[in-house]
Amino acid sequence: MKPLALGVFGVMVIWTLAMACLTPEQAGPGTRPLIWTSDDNPQRTEQVALFNQLSQPLSVKLDPANQGMEKVIVQSMGGVGPDLFDCRDGAQLSSYVQAGIAWDVTEELSRMGISLQRDTWPAMHPNCLWEGRTYGLPTNIAPNALWVHAEILQSKGINLPTGPWKWEEFIPIAKALTVRKEGKVQQYGFLFDWYNWPHFFRGQGAEVFNREGTRCIVDSPEALRAVQLMHDLVYLHEVSPTPVEEAGMASRGGWGSGTINLFGAKRAATALGGRWWLVNLKQFEGLNLNVYESPHGSHRRFSALGRATLINRSSPRREEALRFLAYLASEPYARLIDRQADGSPAFKAHTGRPLAKPEAGHEVWSEAVRHAVPDWTSPYVSGYVVSRIMGEQLDLVKSGSKSPREAMKTAARQINDGIAKAVREDPVVRRRYEEAMKRVQQ
Amino acid sequence: MKKVGRGWLEAAPFLLPNLLGFAAFTAGPVLFSLMASFTNWSLTKPGSVAFVGLQNYVTLLLDPRFWLHLANTGYMMLGIPASIFGSLWLAVLLNRRLPGSTLFRTLLYLPSFTSGVAIMILWKTLYNPDYGPINQALEVLGIQGPNWLLSTQNVLGLKVESAGMEWAQFGIGAKDALVLMGIWTSIGGSSMLLYLAALTNVPVELVEAAELDGANRWKSFWGVVWPQLAPTTFFIGVMSVIGGLQGGFEQARIMTGGGPAGTTTTLAYSIYSKAFEEFQMGYASAVSWTLFAVIFLLTAVYWKFGSRELND
Repeated sequence: MKPLALGVFGVMVIWTLAMACLTPEQAGPGTRPLIWTSDDNPQRTEQVALFNQLSQPLSVKLDPANQGMEKVIVQSMGGVGPDLFDCRDGAQLSSYVQAGIAWDVTEELSRMGISLQRDTWPAMHPNCLWEGRTYGLPTNIAPNALWVHAEILQSKGINLPTGPWKWEEFIPIAKALTVRKEGKVQQYGFLFDWYNWPHFFRGQGAEVFNREGTRCIVDSPEALRAVQLMHDLVYLHEVSPTPVEEAGMASRGGWGSGTINLFGAKRAATALGGRWWLVNLKQFEGLNLNVYESPHGSHRRFSALGRATLINRSSPRREEALRFLAYLASEPYARLIDRQADGSPAFKAHTGRPLAKPEAGHEVWSEAVRHAVPDWTSPYVSGYVVSRIMGEQLDLVKSGSKSPREAMKTAARQINDGIAKAVREDPVVRRRYEEAMKRVQQ
Repeated sequence: MKKVGRGWLEAAPFLLPNLLGFAAFTAGPVLFSLMASFTNWSLTKPGSVAFVGLQNYVTLLLDPRFWLHLANTGYMMLGIPASIFGSLWLAVLLNRRLPGSTLFRTLLYLPSFTSGVAIMILWKTLYNPDYGPINQALEVLGIQGPNWLLSTQNVLGLKVESAGMEWAQFGIGAKDALVLMGIWTSIGGSSMLLYLAALTNVPVELVEAAELDGANRWKSFWGVVWPQLAPTTFFIGVMSVIGGLQGGFEQARIMTGGGPAGTTTTLAYSIYSKAFEEFQMGYASAVSWTLFAVIFLLTAVYWKFGSRELND
């Protein structure tokens, strides 16, 4: 038995050594692709192909399976992280920076003649800028505007204003566009996603935190106006669906759920969304779409979604990865995303250029980009916690089981409790908070 | 003694890969998470990990959200007795060897080998409040169906954001929807197979003797068969409680996102959120170990009293 056991063990050792000898040599610099973790949006393929064509022999390979923030952090800490990764908001950036994953590229970009603050739209700065240092460049910017089915408006003889306008002007139009039959709504006047609450906040001049980020103020009169408006669009003006109606619409026609698909299926005459919606809307045949500026409240301000790409600080090929950032700032890339409708270019120089193939209302996006403002962040509470708490409270408002006032009061209290907990438990945060409080008092 | 030593030498090359794998990928991480639960470890601040003693445990015990999530977990386990007795009932029916019982056995076991994600997406459609088949069937009967996954209501009337009950919360909602789906999924699963196996081991002579003594079917089942099934029931009960306390993650992830308003967030889902969305690894580890303690305690109680019943 013993010789057999040792024999098998010996074979395994020899096998392992043989495999080690047969392993091919690692490819030289420039031939192995840089790994970029981003979403699996079909537009990415073309974006990668263009980079690979322009930057030979350097190339990029997309890795959508590992795009989760937790995966990027854990893998990077283990030394097997991607070379490039996406960042979607200021909260993510702060996590990446504090985890030591994001590479400070301020000097490198400066040498390349790129300045984030000078060259890109401010709404995207929180995704790349942390405490005055630059960690990446925005890949696109996607402010919200009002999508409309042009033929529905024409059939009702409605003309929308081509410039700025207010919710008070929009609501009667949305009511006129809402079609009811036998007590049930056949077509809504206006669709919006509740995760777009920052857009409504912006339009009412509401803030999530005070200037120093030391206190959450989502219970301010401006914030209450914003949430009340969202509530009233559903329950008072009845131009937008309740959650139950929305769920019903989603399954009835077999066109899938989601506001974009519902709008594409003409279940609503207008909808609030970004230019990136076009990627999905192109799949619906025979749509006659147009875009108008979103109505606003007291402030002509809009929120914007968008991504930035950062470089892994521990990547052995981070110098090569800088080429990808240069690509994001380039005109060919801007033209490509403009053509793809993957949002709009985040670089000022590339905004508002005419498209090769004309697109109705295209100039609206350029104007919306100019009025888009950065998201709120607080160094004392995680952005995820804020999103979760706001989501839970808005769930209750959305279902009609809690008033906007009560919901926002609870949200403010819970977020402020989170800030107090962080200050109590973390001496670094506490020191920083005390300094900020001094500034607030001054 | 010498023989034992020689045996070990021969066995070691074979055992070591498994033992090393277990140490590296199971025992190691488990112990690591125990240590992590006494630290303030956050993935976003890897440089400032410090020992904080029992702070995470104190924080979670004082955190009302922990208790809400524990209550949600407990609520999801309300279906366990129904699924155990349902499994037993199905096993008894199938054990009668009626025509087509093999087909029924396969059909009833289907949910167990069907993809959980597919089942959950199917149930999400069934639960559609407006056009889901369940509410449509209820409408035919003149009953207005509940809002299922979109409602915070529940049959116990539990409040959404704090402990206690309130009138407005009485009804049927997301929690109940998940409980019902859980019963459907588990009723024809491994519990049914275990009962079927146990039923075949019940001596026929005992049942016949009871019938000769004048016992009807119900009495012979209750007096003869049921006690013979006690070890199986005990095992299924223990496993169901353990599974129930660890459950709710997939349902929350796929069907509800933990909502509406956090009403379907169980401890398992909250551990995931804390660790991989808020990156509070130390705190999440503390919740995990608290969950382990709860499972251990409940199993020990069950074991103590259940095994006493068995021995009696």
